[in-house]
Amino acid sequence: MNSLLHKHQLKKLFLGRRGNDGLLFKIVLYLLLIGISFIFLYPLLSMLSMSLMSVEDLVDSSISWVPRNPTLRHFESAFVWMKFWESFLDSLQVSIYPTIATVVSSALIGYGFGRFEFPLKKLLMGLMIAMFLIPSVLTYIPTTVLYRDLKIFGIDLQLMNSIRAFWVPALVGNGIRQTIFILIFYQFFKMIPHELIEAASMDGSGPFRTFLTIAIPMAAPAFLICGLYSFVWYWNETTLARLYFGSSVTTLPMRLESFIAMYRSMYAQGKVTLDTVSSIYNTGVQYAMTLLSILPLLVIYIFAQKWFVEGVDKSGIAGS
Amino acid sequence: MKKFIVDVKSFFFTVGEFLKKILTCIKNAIKPIITKIMRYSGLAFLAKKLRLLPNKVKQAIYGLLFIMPWLIGLGLIGIPLLSKSIRMALSDKYYFIAGVGWQITGTWSDFTQFKRIITSEPYHLTQILNTINDISLVVPLVVVFALILALMLNQKVKARAIFRTIFFIPVILLSGNLLAGFQSNQLLTVPAIASGAISSILSDYFPQVFSEIVASAFEKIVLILWLSGVQILIFLAGLQKMDKSMYEAAEIDGASMWELFWKITLPALIPLLYINIIYTTIVYSNLSNNAIVQIINVSSDQNRSLAGTLVDEVNYGRAYSAALSWILFTIELLVIGGYSLMVKLASKRYS
Repeated sequence: MNSLLHKHQLKKLFLGRRGNDGLLFKIVLYLLLIGISFIFLYPLLSMLSMSLMSVEDLVDSSISWVPRNPTLRHFESAFVWMKFWESFLDSLQVSIYPTIATVVSSALIGYGFGRFEFPLKKLLMGLMIAMFLIPSVLTYIPTTVLYRDLKIFGIDLQLMNSIRAFWVPALVGNGIRQTIFILIFYQFFKMIPHELIEAASMDGSGPFRTFLTIAIPMAAPAFLICGLYSFVWYWNETTLARLYFGSSVTTLPMRLESFIAMYRSMYAQGKVTLDTVSSIYNTGVQYAMTLLSILPLLVIYIFAQKWFVEGVDKSGIAGS
Repeated sequence: MKKFIVDVKSFFFTVGEFLKKILTCIKNAIKPIITKIMRYSGLAFLAKKLRLLPNKVKQAIYGLLFIMPWLIGLGLIGIPLLSKSIRMALSDKYYFIAGVGWQITGTWSDFTQFKRIITSEPYHLTQILNTINDISLVVPLVVVFALILALMLNQKVKARAIFRTIFFIPVILLSGNLLAGFQSNQLLTVPAIASGAISSILSDYFPQVFSEIVASAFEKIVLILWLSGVQILIFLAGLQKMDKSMYEAAEIDGASMWELFWKITLPALIPLLYINIIYTTIVYSNLSNNAIVQIINVSSDQNRSLAGTLVDEVNYGRAYSAALSWILFTIELLVIGGYSLMVKLASKRYS
């Protein structure tokens, strides 16, 4: 009897009462969480450690993680080479305007698709997804040709060589991967209980007012997701930026890319000497630049993340 | 810190109140003017007519008004792009002449490029088959992993905020170019997987077909984890929106965690499952480690074909890569369609 009780208690301790409060479950959960966190942090950490190594440490194969002579020199030269502040301001411009355009238009379009029934709705949504499926490599040339002389109501938009090439298409639902945002909003607006919307329209609220006062606050997490992600995507976009902006705008990731290209071509031509390596062209500088180009994102993300958890938790209260 | 936040909040609140007051003032001032304009321009008549329409028609009009931005975009950008890319794939050559612009030759009904892929490019055909295999393996894995990770992050664990912060790092780092850079610098592998230790153990103990699938999944596991950032977030947002009282009621009735997952959590996440399947397929098949994308990148090299000449186009140029892109498009469509159908069939018993 006694041992049976003991056994029972042990089982309860390890497996828990409901399956997710036992010790075993907890251990596995934490192991997995920590392991995966390590995988995600690994590139960041190894870039950080390599960017802090001096040139001698980089060559020395016995040093893998902790630099023997830590130095900030690579960061200094990366900072100067990238013209950090100038490129940073460009990056901000390139990311903020398209993000606002993307979020506003995606919310409207998602609400239109999610809340209302109209003829050809299924077909239009299918078309939207189909256009999202077209491999982006294919559309580079046609888009540049199209944007060069895009007119709306007879007004020449002059998209090329300015950041309009990013935010005007975003405003009409053709931003970078915007379909996914429209779909996210679509699902979120569909999840809002019908009774709320009906009650509002009973009380004489027009569709636009209902959208502003009821739908938007209920879809707060969707706004956060879409805002954050489209910011990050516009920030990191280099191929399209190069195609559209030419040399008028140079963002941080574009600087990084041109540095890598230069590094590679020098290497291919055999121009790499001890002098060039120790001055600027080494992996340490490259990683320092990579870190500098994503640093603003990390900072924004750490703040937004706090909000995000709050926003998500708050909206979770409002079930039907 | 908290006091500061409260201060800021109250500041914004007072500002908001003030703005509201001003707005109502302005509204009252211009109201008679607007009604006059409406009356004389015929808009009032239209609005009256609109109100009299049956509810269904009204809903349709409102819906179309809301998606108006997208419709404009479709007409201005979407349709022209679509038709242009179809025409490119169905042409002989697509090339650039300085001062004149982009030229298209060949009649569309010849299907030149597609015939070329099927008849004279056996290597590219095998690459296409590889791509089908690859995408159809990775997509469900990413979605399932994202679901598991989202469920894990939704548990009551200590330091949840820190784990969440770390788990979304991929989204910031993972934007095409950076990922490729990581891969070439071997920042995305786990040593034990890279050395093939796991796959050799697997092939010793399991039938070959099974061990191959598992081994390739293991090889890609880090990539899969890296790709699941957005999907985790989408699932997590859905999980957070779920009604907590439903869980409590089920728990009181004695449901286990397992039952809670299958009967409450999963059915509610099914719409998000579709989104994640679509998104994963698209992102993964556009990644630069994809076999078809690699061929496209080589055959329509950025620097070369932006100023591409006729000579480049004769061999493998824009037209050929456009045809390949449409094949990739078809693959994506098949994968999305297949998995969506599976989810739909599996979820039938819930409805």
